[in-house]
Amino acid sequence: MAQELNPLSALSDVLVARFAAARDSVAAVRLSQRAHLGAIRWQHDVLVTSEQSLPERDTLEALLPDGSAVAGKLAGRDPATNVAIIRLDKSVPAPTLSASAAQIGTLVIAAGSDGSGRPSARLGMVNAVGPQWHSMRGGRIEARIQLDIRLAVSEEGGPAFDAAGGWLGMTTFGPRGQILVIPAKTVEHVVPALLAGGRVPRGWLGVALRPVAIPDELREAGEEAGLMVMSLSPEGPAAKAGLVAGDIVLSVDGTSARRLRSVLAHLGSDSVGKTVPLRLIRGGAVITVEATITERPAT
Amino acid sequence: MTDSAVSPSGRSLRVVIAASGEERIAALLDVLRSLGHEVITEDEGPDVVLADRHLPEKGRYPAVVVGGTDADAEGLLPENAAAAEIDAALRAVAQGLIVRSSRARGPGFSAAQDAEARTLLTPREAQILDAIADGLTNKAIARRLGISLHTVKFHLESVFRKLEARTRTEAVAKALERRREDTIDL
Repeated sequence: MAQELNPLSALSDVLVARFAAARDSVAAVRLSQRAHLGAIRWQHDVLVTSEQSLPERDTLEALLPDGSAVAGKLAGRDPATNVAIIRLDKSVPAPTLSASAAQIGTLVIAAGSDGSGRPSARLGMVNAVGPQWHSMRGGRIEARIQLDIRLAVSEEGGPAFDAAGGWLGMTTFGPRGQILVIPAKTVEHVVPALLAGGRVPRGWLGVALRPVAIPDELREAGEEAGLMVMSLSPEGPAAKAGLVAGDIVLSVDGTSARRLRSVLAHLGSDSVGKTVPLRLIRGGAVITVEATITERPAT
Repeated sequence: MTDSAVSPSGRSLRVVIAASGEERIAALLDVLRSLGHEVITEDEGPDVVLADRHLPEKGRYPAVVVGGTDADAEGLLPENAAAAEIDAALRAVAQGLIVRSSRARGPGFSAAQDAEARTLLTPREAQILDAIADGLTNKAIARRLGISLHTVKFHLESVFRKLEARTRTEAVAKALERRREDTIDL
């Protein structure tokens, strides 16, 4: 046996120590008898987890790192940024998270829960970092952080840390099995709003749309693509404005509908109450209607 | 319903059922028997495990999970998987392959993309694809939409090009996946 520590053992020891320090920030949310979801311990009595994987349920049970089970209530969810919070019935000391920004190549320890709700760890690196982006649900995410690790379903929603123990954000599943991190900055922005009101106010038109190409004979409308109305929320602003399924939206408040990200930017929290013109194709003719944006109802 | 699933190596597999609740076990048993597979216990050394919703802990044998989302499972099928899908997944997993159904999981948390007009379908093209999905022939499509057979073929060519599909089945599958990913709620 060599006396001096070899570098691999040293690395391993550091990882073990890092995870030991991190595990108090991890919790599991029980989804069923044997299925769990990872969660971040935000405050002594608040957990943060992945909204997209949380069932519609008011009361939930959390498993804390010491193995104790604590009942909690769903206190808010924001599908737009994929952040949900659970308020625990009991206050248990949790470490303070210190946010850190991800860079390509940053070594990452992702913590989650194993199938039984006990803490689990993954090691990998930040595979790609992109600029601010908008989700399909209309939320602004401060950076696109992609990891090169695998994640079990029960590990989603847990915290990701860098090598210095800095908190990068919350892990979640992106499209085609990609592992994404919702940046700490975004979570820090959303959680206070959720704690205060249970949701993040966002502008809403109440319409499900799908991008379509504009047929050649209608190109005089000046657009190559638009958004076709698939369905409408019965009492939503779009329905009240008279939109019907099959209409093709060309622009929202003057912004071309094919520039989806810009359209989403028109529906921020400050948009509520604004009346905007919607230019659309109906039955071969281009018309304009006006819709008054309301606040997106709770899901 | 399973004739199309019988592969060239259509031998019967030795399968263990991992489910809780008599009803679920009976349901899976029925499916396996209808497929001609042998249901055994784990001690007898199965080819594959068929599990209901949850991956059995510390499994030594490859497993197909129906209605589960555990990424550790070799095979993942949606809850409403057809017998033929279960058969295909069991056989593939028994051969050491990983099986994922495109319907097994939600699309994931994804980004809003600006529309790429070049590959988007027009409303008419989408209608024609819907008709193909319904199993209609070109002639029947022309009749349904009140257009000429020539026009149907013209649109179809464009659909195939935009979706980079070679067969009608492939075009329908690709369009379905796109629709799932593309629909946005404003």
